[in-house]
Order: sequence, then structure tokens, then C-alpha cells
Amino acid sequence: MSSDTLAALSMTEAADAFARGEVTAAALLEATLDRLDRHGAKVNAVVRLDRDEARQAAVGLDQARKAGATLGRLAGVPMMHKDMYYRAGKVTTCGSKIRRDFVPGVTATVLQRLDAAGAVDAGTLNMAEFAQNATGHNAHFGDAMNPWDAAYCTGGSSSGSGAAVAGRIVTAALGSDTGGSIRLPAAMCGVTGLKPTQTRVPRTGVMPLSFSADNVGPLGRTARDAARFLGVVAGACAGDPTSSREPVPDYEAGLDGDIRGLRVAVCEPWFFDDIDASVLRGFEAAMAGLKDLGATVETVRPESLVAVNTYISIVSRVEGATIHQQWMRECPADYAIHLSARLYGGNAIPATAYLEALSRRGPLLRRFCDEALGRFDVVATPPLRVRVPTRAETDVDADPANWDRLMDLSRNTRPFNYLGLPTISIPVGFDDRGLPIGLQLAARPFAEARVLKVADAYQRATDWHGRAPF
Amino acid sequence: MSDSRLALPLMDSIQRWQGIDAPNAAARHGMKDFEGLIAALEKLRGELVFEDEPSSFEAALTACKEREA
Repeated sequence: MSSDTLAALSMTEAADAFARGEVTAAALLEATLDRLDRHGAKVNAVVRLDRDEARQAAVGLDQARKAGATLGRLAGVPMMHKDMYYRAGKVTTCGSKIRRDFVPGVTATVLQRLDAAGAVDAGTLNMAEFAQNATGHNAHFGDAMNPWDAAYCTGGSSSGSGAAVAGRIVTAALGSDTGGSIRLPAAMCGVTGLKPTQTRVPRTGVMPLSFSADNVGPLGRTARDAARFLGVVAGACAGDPTSSREPVPDYEAGLDGDIRGLRVAVCEPWFFDDIDASVLRGFEAAMAGLKDLGATVETVRPESLVAVNTYISIVSRVEGATIHQQWMRECPADYAIHLSARLYGGNAIPATAYLEALSRRGPLLRRFCDEALGRFDVVATPPLRVRVPTRAETDVDADPANWDRLMDLSRNTRPFNYLGLPTISIPVGFDDRGLPIGLQLAARPFAEARVLKVADAYQRATDWHGRAPF
Repeated sequence: MSDSRLALPLMDSIQRWQGIDAPNAAARHGMKDFEGLIAALEKLRGELVFEDEPSSFEAALTACKEREA
């Protein structure tokens, strides 16, 4: 099989083909390397390539399979991950100048679990500096570029993850999501991205941003990819006392394509204020698609969202500002302009406002669940109210007047970080400039299986997730 | 680009409490966000009750699960 044929496989297709002996880990890796060599410069998605180590790992897996060893659920699948997951002895830049030479002494729990599942780690991916913008701009490593058109944003902060998966360089990658950083690049690049329930995936060995709202999760081609990936990385970890002891189900088991009787709530008006016409058309077409599959779609108007949005902006800004305080004193010029500006402002918020925001989180989660999910199984919203913006029109470093446009991009994603709900973004079409449109689905806490089931059913009936930019 | 009326007092407060100076023009520009944020918080006054505390969130995550999940 050619590298392009292998690269067209989803993560689960590649893993299953390896398990059946239809393809070697070495061939899958060479396909990734070939795609990277031919297309990598178009997207600037990779920070570090571990070509030789990955080849050794792939050969080892091929030998183990020949010897009849029992291998993991992701055996043979090459991956790269956002450059904020610590691997002992390897530089982890966090997309920054400040940590350009940082070598952690520990390996992230999620990387250990992916290793144990047989995934081949081939390197690290570009990201917004310290995971702190929604566009993918990076002043130190260069912006990741949207595979559909390099002038446009990839979305951030998991910019390289979105670009590398959409560009068929890797089949899946870790992102992280504190205000939309998995779902925005998924939406803007046209791939599938899952932010799990807060506490579902341990964060040991993961660069912090805002410890109350940080989430670890996958970007992949399909909902099935996200389901298998999550099944590997989810579950309690002694190193992260905040990680949930909730049992981890078999997320793939429920992917049967049957969503007859599913009740979908469309939340207005919050997620639709000043929405772009072509984005709205894409959303409405997706709702029609879910109805065709047997779901019912109704409108709800949760009043809690105004408070939710106010409080999440306080929590993420204060926590981000706090952990960056020392560097902001010592080396503020080492940050990109837009990032130091954002971190700076977080210091102005009083502690009482921050504690109010945290204290209202539980009551507002209960209220939102009553308002939006009381009679419904999932909430559906657009992840973005605007078309994918260009990198130029959201570049605050070049012009501070772009500040509002940058900050507004996460308006539809960040409420779900405050609420802690599992939320997925899947591709549902293209706008009038040919850039992807996403659909965001959320469900009750720990109901990842629910959003994955809906996303999978939609993907069985459509081919948006199967389209490739090159 | 003119400063928000809040910019100078907030910048002074940050300098006193954290010893951090505004790093650039964008940081000063971003101070204008606080007009809207304070107004939004003002509308929420009275909703925080005496017993509210941050740990209510973990309890709510469990309480709000799907019944069959």
C-alpha cells in the first residue's frame, strides 16, 4: 500500500489492520514520515521529530506481533502529541521560548498509557505558547497553518494536533482543552476532537494552564478514534488526586449508529449571537441530518450561560496569571505580546471574585443540567459563531486592535470547561470560503459515550470527516 | 487607542500586589475588558449564598451524571 493509502486510514482502521497482520508498524510509520516530508512545511505542525526512535519502536512491535505477543489496542499506530506532555529526558517546549530547553524528569501518565497500548510516539507537535490562544499563533516556532488554506488559523491551542491530523500526517494526537483548545482546532481543521469530563483523564506530567479547567483529550479523524483513544488514557491515577475514580467504560461498545429517539437540545441565544450565515447553514444542515437519523431537535434557552461565561473568564485568567507570575516579573519579553498581555490582566482580578467563580461552579452545573439536559440527551451548538478567521485578522502581536476578535473565538467552547461537561467537535461541512465548519455536542458528566455515539452515527451517514485537504 | 478609565488604577494595583509591570501596549489595551467583566459580575451579585464553596463542583459532577451511566 502507498503512503497516501495508509495515511487515509483512521486511527482505529490502522490499529485494526496492524492487529490482523495486514500492515506492519514500520509501514505505517514510513507513511507518516513520507507524508511529513512531502507536506509538513505546508502546515508547520511538528516541533520535534524522533525519526530513529520511532523506527526502532515500530520494528520492535512488528517483531513482537510475529512472535505472537499480546499487544495493546493502539499497537503499531504512529502518533505525535502537543508539545506539553512531559517525557522524561526529552525537551518539552510548551510552545514557548521560556521552556525551549526544559527537560522534564517524569513522563506524563497519558503518554505512559499510550506507550503501554502500543502507540508509536514519533515526536511532538506545535501549539500556542503555553496553550494560551484560540488561534494557533506562535511567535517562537511559527504559526501552525490550516491544511485547507495556510492563510487561515488552525485554531488553538492544540494547533499542531489539528493540522497534523487533518493533513493526514498522523491519525490521532493528544491535545489539551481549557477553553476550547481541542474543539477549536478540530472545528477549524475539520477533524474530530473530544474534551472529556473534567477529572476524567489524569493530568500528571502535563503542563498546567488553569488547573480547574484543564483537560486532556484526543483529536482524531473519527468518533471511533476518539472513543478508543479515550478508553486508553482515561481513568484514575495516583499521581493526580483530582482524577476521577469513575469506572472507564468501553466507549466503542455503544457505537452502533442507532440514535432513534435521541433528544437534542439547541441552546439559544448564547451560542448564536451574530452568527455567520454560512456557519448557521452548516449547523442547521447537521441538525437536519440528526433528525433524518431519528433524533428529535428542540430549542432551549438556558439562562445560566451568562453567569457561566463570566465565571470561566475569571477562573482561567486568574489561574493562568498565578502560575506565570514569576516569569512575568523576570522575563516578560520572552512571552509573545498577546500572551503576556493576557496573563498580565489576570493579576487584576480580586481573590473574592475568583472564589465566587469557583464556588458558583457546582450550583451552575446543576442548573445548566436542569435547564438544558433535563429533558434532553445532548446539547448541540456551533463551536464557532464565525467562519475560520485568517491568521492576519487575529494577530494581536501585529495589532492590539485584534484583541476582541481573538478573545471572542472561544465564546462557544469555554462554557463547557466551566461546566466540566464532555464535549465533542466534529466536522459537518465547509463555509463559503472552503474552510471547515464544526458541530459541538455536549452531554452530562461522564457521558462521553453519549456524545461519541451521536458523533459516530452522524459520521456513518456523512463523509465530512473523510475529506482530506491534500 | 485610549486607555480604559480602569487601566491606571488596575496597573497600579498589579504593580503593588505582584510587582509586575504592563509588558506592552496590548496589555494596557486588554485592561478595557475589565469594564465589561465588572459589569457582568455586578449583575450576578446576590447569587452566591453563604454555604457555597468550590468543592460543590465535584459533588455536582457526580450528582448530574446520567442515571444509567
